[in-house]
Amino acid sequence: MFFKRNQRDTGKATAGAGAESPVAAKGTDAARPVPLPVSELRRTVEPSSLGFASTAELEPISGLIGQERALKAIEFGAGMRNRDFNIFVLGPPASGKSTAVRQFLARKAAEAKPLGDWVYVNNFEDGNHPLAIRLPNGRGKPLAAAMIAAIDEMRSTLPAAFESEDYQARRRAIEEEFRSGQDEAFEALNRKAQDQNIAIVRTPTGFVMAPTHEGKIVKPEVFNTLPEAMRKEVESRIEALQKELEHILERVPKSDKVRRQRTSELNTETATVVVREALDDVAAAYAGEPSVIAFLEAAGKDLVRNFGLFLAQSGEEGEAVKPPTDPARDPRFRRYQVNVMVGNENGDATGAPIHEELNPTYGNLIGRVEHIAHMGALVTDFLLIKPGALHHANGGYLLVDARKLLLSPFAWEALKRTLKAGEIRIEHPSEMAGVISTQSLDPEPIPLDVKVVLFGGRDIYYLLVQHDPDFAGLFKVQADFDDSIERSSDNNLAYARLIASIVREHKLLPANAAAVARLIEEGARLADDREKLSIEIGRLADIVREADYWARQAGKSEIDREAVMRAIDEHVQRSDRMRDKSQEVITRAIVLVDVDGAKVGQINGLSVLQLGSFAFGRPTRITARVRMGPGRVVDIEREVNLGGPLHSKGVMILWGYLAGLYAQDVPLALSASLVFEQSYGGVDGDSASSAELYALLSALSELPIAQSFAVTGSVNQWGEVQAIGGVNEKIEGFFDLCVWRGLTGKQGVLVPAANVQHLMLREDVVEAVRAGKFAIHAVSSIDQGIEILTGIKAGVRGADGSFPEGTVNRLVEDKLRAFAERARAFGGRGAAAGDGGGGAGDRMS
Amino acid sequence: MIAHVAEAGEGRGRVVLHLTSGPPNRLALLAAIKVAQAFQSEIESLFVEDAKLFDIAGFPFAREISLSGRRSKALTLADVERQMRSRAAALADELGALARGSEVPMHMTIVRDEPVNALASACDRHGPWNVVALAEPVTASSDPLLDRIFTAVPGTTGLVVVGPKVRRCDGRIVAFVEDIADFDAVLRTARRLHALSPDARLTLLLAADTDREAAIMDDQARLAIGADDTLEIVRARVERHAPAVAAEIIRRLGAGFVVGRFGGLVVPSDGCLRRLASVLDCPLFLMR
Repeated sequence: MFFKRNQRDTGKATAGAGAESPVAAKGTDAARPVPLPVSELRRTVEPSSLGFASTAELEPISGLIGQERALKAIEFGAGMRNRDFNIFVLGPPASGKSTAVRQFLARKAAEAKPLGDWVYVNNFEDGNHPLAIRLPNGRGKPLAAAMIAAIDEMRSTLPAAFESEDYQARRRAIEEEFRSGQDEAFEALNRKAQDQNIAIVRTPTGFVMAPTHEGKIVKPEVFNTLPEAMRKEVESRIEALQKELEHILERVPKSDKVRRQRTSELNTETATVVVREALDDVAAAYAGEPSVIAFLEAAGKDLVRNFGLFLAQSGEEGEAVKPPTDPARDPRFRRYQVNVMVGNENGDATGAPIHEELNPTYGNLIGRVEHIAHMGALVTDFLLIKPGALHHANGGYLLVDARKLLLSPFAWEALKRTLKAGEIRIEHPSEMAGVISTQSLDPEPIPLDVKVVLFGGRDIYYLLVQHDPDFAGLFKVQADFDDSIERSSDNNLAYARLIASIVREHKLLPANAAAVARLIEEGARLADDREKLSIEIGRLADIVREADYWARQAGKSEIDREAVMRAIDEHVQRSDRMRDKSQEVITRAIVLVDVDGAKVGQINGLSVLQLGSFAFGRPTRITARVRMGPGRVVDIEREVNLGGPLHSKGVMILWGYLAGLYAQDVPLALSASLVFEQSYGGVDGDSASSAELYALLSALSELPIAQSFAVTGSVNQWGEVQAIGGVNEKIEGFFDLCVWRGLTGKQGVLVPAANVQHLMLREDVVEAVRAGKFAIHAVSSIDQGIEILTGIKAGVRGADGSFPEGTVNRLVEDKLRAFAERARAFGGRGAAAGDGGGGAGDRMS
Repeated sequence: MIAHVAEAGEGRGRVVLHLTSGPPNRLALLAAIKVAQAFQSEIESLFVEDAKLFDIAGFPFAREISLSGRRSKALTLADVERQMRSRAAALADELGALARGSEVPMHMTIVRDEPVNALASACDRHGPWNVVALAEPVTASSDPLLDRIFTAVPGTTGLVVVGPKVRRCDGRIVAFVEDIADFDAVLRTARRLHALSPDARLTLLLAADTDREAAIMDDQARLAIGADDTLEIVRARVERHAPAVAAEIIRRLGAGFVVGRFGGLVVPSDGCLRRLASVLDCPLFLMR
């Protein structure tokens, strides 16, 4: 007999597992339960079975293991050049998917040629719309350098040309021609006037004439004494000369115009020769590039028009400021420079670009037009156009983290718009949003041929699928990375090679076979499944690197099993402060959890707390109280809004089980309450539903439950115990408590039989089981579990339709019938009108 | 005389800037300021209201033809006075700004007189050391003034003029020497100007009407100067009364200021100063 029922009073602790039960005397004792053998608790790896002594002997694995489906999807996506077949790589973080995808794409990209160089040049016809020019690989930067060199050359040659003897002579000839013409005419008039005794005198605003005598102006009072005829004659002479002077002066502007035109023609001719000479070499080098030739022609014309830029000194007038030595820095010559957006180093460059944007802001993605402060205003030009990740990735692949992309304002919408349009159009985000409209640069869009690879979790993927109608159209390829791979001898070896890769990549000590075996076991533990291996490479790499540290600390030349275990233990120790606190409040009896004795309506449930990367199990007391009532199970957790929907569902299922098994022909005149004692946080999940049912059955049957057990597992309406998550942590949580209180040999955990395949328990738990100090029981039904917990047979309904006397089921059924009878005795008051199938808070018949 | 002051190492003298109702040339103004800076002297701006204009305004038929030739109007005394006042005010503003920027003391005097008389009076008024600077480029109408300035204005010890082709007053300083006896005075003055912009080159241009004479001058100059890296010596054969040749040599040197002596081969005392000044593209400083 495992447990004996010694009293029918509820709520009081029984004498314990050793006490005799009156029912037991009737032969209803359950058979002694058989715990799981040690071999079922942890699947170990025999180092010698791996076939190597150290990872130094292994060829590191390149890429991923066990991700054939995802890699196939990536291969397909990478091969499809259509712009809407972009790839969304989904999978757990730190699974190495980014590295694997990059490696895969690198091989694919190596087969291709870069798309070419892209440059922006000034649009000499419309400065607000810079022109984009595509060049063969490696030709962009030389073009920029050649233009700067040409400008530098012209800085010397243009002034020299305009200082040359030839130019000066021709210029002087023109000026002399016109000046002498004017001067001669003016001097001729002057002589003519002098001959007629008339002087031409300059005033501040013009000329005036007056009669002279012996070279001196005649005074008015003297002139007035002359005979009138003489005066008239002088006046008429002056009038005639004035007309001639007017005629000469009127000719001056026209003459000046012609002179300026002739001078301008001379200047154009002089500048053209120099400019052509400077640009000819560039034009010859880019003869096969019509866009460059067109740019050079436009630049040449502009240079000729503005040759004065090269003659004028910068700075204040009269101040001898030497021009900057670097022509690229001289603001006067910016318009002739070339802005290299994408420039391959040489023409032999192979391989399409693979660009990973770690900070996918709008500007970093699409590119931006920067501004500089000048005299209190923000100004810009085509040289301030900065490329984005799409420019760098054009012709290849762009890798972006989906979460960062979505969190960056405007970036996601901009990326979609760009992919749809098939061209990179640089706009200020505020313009894109239509917020402001100021005149700025509108660079010519650059055609886009890129494959975008987004990395994200499954939650983001399905969120986008559901809420963004554009997403599915643009990201047609889903590369879904598994969290784990099947555990097999082949995969064990692959896992070992993966460890060898980590060792090599991080330049660690080689790991011996025992260490690798232990790491494989940890891989299964991380997968929460002894038949699987976690491919969370980030965590695996952390353990290997930490093991390397501990091995080196110990002066070892290789990573051994102890180093791996130390790394795992140290990691746990660094993270388990909350677990210690949780244990402490139980051991100090602040939170009440019994690990021995037996109680009616009370059971130890198990829950898992996940704190970051660390999870641990925590025992929780669950209690049930029953009485005759209107047919209601009160889930106290739900009543106070601490229970989640899954927990409530589990409680409702209990009702289905009770009604289906015990109340086929009588109403369930039951009022019951269930509670997680001393639970002050939320409770969710249905993994405690079997424990709640056991507590309820105990309360109804008044059979005490051995408190040396803890229970986990969900239950369905048929009483089948179903698998749950975190089974290892839950068992270990109860085990740790029992160790602290003292292992009695009677303690253990009931787990769903379906979870046996997930068991990868800690080695200390396994050792305790091996020593008979602890037990793990796999149960597949409520009957099986209640027998272990109470030590009484559950009972199977016989041919007469009733359960055998003294069995748990019989006791429960009798109690329920008694409640029903009493309810009827009360005149139906309080009894429900039927089985409504209600759950927590519902009325039940 | 400022040039003599320079020889004596004294910091005295004055630049008399001759301003008329015609438009001044900015480079001529800057040249005057440079000379004042070089000799640490002040500038007296002498704005001359040509008395002739007031006489002419008294004629009932006097008409002013605008500079464009498109407009003419009767010229009255009031018009002339108003124009003179406004021109003087504008010049005072412009010159004041330039002088302040160059930290050269300047004051302005307005006189109504015949231009040469006005200059003579101004030079006499403050002592013998005056360099006269003409604000207007020399033209045919300048001839009467230029012809008389060294003869009728005894207080003039130097003259600064620009021609209509003037383009700069910065750059190489050329000391133009035609007589080795003048070499020291001319070079000393050129050095004073050169001190204002030490980065510019200083050239001693030795001009003679024969190659032999030029070579002799070269030898003498080198002997007198000794080793001097800052000075470049160039010799040239220049025909007497051939200012165009001298001007071309000076132009090819890229001169920013030329210092010479009145009464030599190129500017004989009985010749026409305008011939040289009108072909130069930089200011010309002629010492008496």
